[in-house]
Amino acid sequence: MKLISAQNISYKINEKMLFHNLSLEVYSGEGLHIKGGNGSGKSTLLKILLGITSLSKGLIEYKNQDLKISYLGHKNAIKNYLTPAQNLQLLFGNASLSNAFEWLEKLNLFQVQDELTANLSFGQQKKLALIRVLAQSSELIVLDEPFVGLDTAASDLLNSFFVQKLSEGTGLILTSHIQPSVECQVIELDKANA
Amino acid sequence: MISAFIHKFSSPKSFVQITKTLYPLFIFTGLSMLIIGWTWGLLFAPPDAVQGNSYRIIFLHVPAVIFAELIYFFMALCALMHIVWRVRLAAYLIKSAAPIGAMITFIGLFSGSIWGIPTWGTWWQWDARITSTLILFIMYLGILTLHGSFSNLEKSDRLMSILVVIGVVNIPIIKKSVDWWSTLHQPASISVSGGSSIDPSMLYPLIISVIGLGFTLISLGILTSRSYILGREKNKKWVLDHV
Amino acid sequence: MLRLIKIESSKLFYKLKSWLGPMLIMILVLTAFPLSIDISQFDLEKFYFSIIVVSLLMTSFLATEGMFEEDFEDGSLEQEFLIEQDFYKVVLSKIFVYVCFIGVPIALIGAIFSVANGVAIESFVSVFLSLSLSNLLLFNLFAFGNALSINKGAMLGVLTSLPLALPVIILLGTAIRSIQYGNGFLEIISLMIGMGFLISAIMPLIISTALKTHID
Repeated sequence: MKLISAQNISYKINEKMLFHNLSLEVYSGEGLHIKGGNGSGKSTLLKILLGITSLSKGLIEYKNQDLKISYLGHKNAIKNYLTPAQNLQLLFGNASLSNAFEWLEKLNLFQVQDELTANLSFGQQKKLALIRVLAQSSELIVLDEPFVGLDTAASDLLNSFFVQKLSEGTGLILTSHIQPSVECQVIELDKANA
Repeated sequence: MISAFIHKFSSPKSFVQITKTLYPLFIFTGLSMLIIGWTWGLLFAPPDAVQGNSYRIIFLHVPAVIFAELIYFFMALCALMHIVWRVRLAAYLIKSAAPIGAMITFIGLFSGSIWGIPTWGTWWQWDARITSTLILFIMYLGILTLHGSFSNLEKSDRLMSILVVIGVVNIPIIKKSVDWWSTLHQPASISVSGGSSIDPSMLYPLIISVIGLGFTLISLGILTSRSYILGREKNKKWVLDHV
Repeated sequence: MLRLIKIESSKLFYKLKSWLGPMLIMILVLTAFPLSIDISQFDLEKFYFSIIVVSLLMTSFLATEGMFEEDFEDGSLEQEFLIEQDFYKVVLSKIFVYVCFIGVPIALIGAIFSVANGVAIESFVSVFLSLSLSNLLLFNLFAFGNALSINKGAMLGVLTSLPLALPVIILLGTAIRSIQYGNGFLEIISLMIGMGFLISAIMPLIISTALKTHID
């Protein structure tokens, strides 16, 4: 089942063309790894695929209007003045809250759940931010540099999460300088621009 | 169909080409009418029965406040075109017109203050009309500051257009303020329907000054918008050919 | 939408300085003013209302400063966009929560101070109503200013939203005059209620467009 497809998309910002006539498709259970140098437009491409940023030309189609997408970009979308526990309570309804706390434990954040998020380390904050994606059931997962700041244990957890989700039929799109352990189709943005 | 019409006449390239021929015409008309109007008004029109010679500032003040509002209306129209039909030229014109509008509003406020001293004994009065004009000046500043705050120029254009359209609600308040509140300001002396209470010997130079200032400001607008458009579109082929 | 109101309430509740700060500033200004003048020289009753109005304007502005900045900076706005596809409900909930938790208490403080300074106790409800409605209008307008300037600081917010707010102040002044002289209050308050409904419905739409432009 095709989850998302982009046909001949182009994007221009401040008169600079970031990419031109780019096409891609992601099916259920499939992964897409977007590569490229710094400033090549990886994050922008993700935001365009999500519909956050408007593209200059082209068409993006989703499986349906209610396609459930979970996304984590460069920004963590967590509140620094709340504790991890409070952040999770804000994010999750009663149904998935217990699952979220399970992940809190798996990621070694259980001991710090009542400390102010602002006082956590960069890696701990990133792990907390990832719970938004880990504990939510969705049809498509979109991640921008998910491995940044993670320790080895957490990276392994994330990779096995990818394997499990792909086997369940969830689609995955990610940008990363680090190679994920799952098999993905690859798009190189620098080469796509040429 | 409207969309096609608008897009045909709203390319920055054709604007730059058309205004090249229009500019000398406008500046000549504008400056000559201003000179005629001001010479007539300042030197040859008779002194006012009540205010004596101090009324002569109206030949600067009245055109200035008229165009302070008209320029904003023009910007609001462009803003609407930018928001609805995504016309880039409209955003360029707003950005070029705003400093001119700010300047002429300031001139209006300043000349009004100068007029106030001999007429009312005070250089400032917190009545509705003057206050609304001050608000208009602040709005111009807000528009300019907003556009200059963001590095993504397309985003700036859009936000600026939104602000201009919202702000246009202030203009009727200026217009109606003379009716809504009892103020120091005299009621509107020139009206479209019926006669006016200004003597023709003062009215004619005033009208000439208004038209002259209008053409002069349009020429100024043409100058600033041409250079701004060339700057914004500098990566386009037609600009490289033009320059 | 209930979910959004719950989220916004929790966020505001935990950020003490966002809601307690404006209230304390309001109390501070209203207390400080009589202390700064020679009361025997002036008839405090006559112009204390103006102080309340100006304090209201100032504290409303302070209360809404950076309203969307935090969500924009930490990426929450993008996440909300993914869930809701536009910002109308987000903005509506946020303004609703701000008005309830900050606007109404500030209006209450203003009304209490006005009664303490010569206004008849029978007018308390009228004063409270006028101040609350003004706050509703002001919060919407200042939210618009904040949506435009988002993280560019207070100066831009002031320049963009103050020109829109001043007519509200004029309206509030007229309402207060009608309370003081005992006539025409019903007409003014009806006008304010009507405007309140209109602006509360339309402003979030415009703010939503502005926010979408920012995350674009």
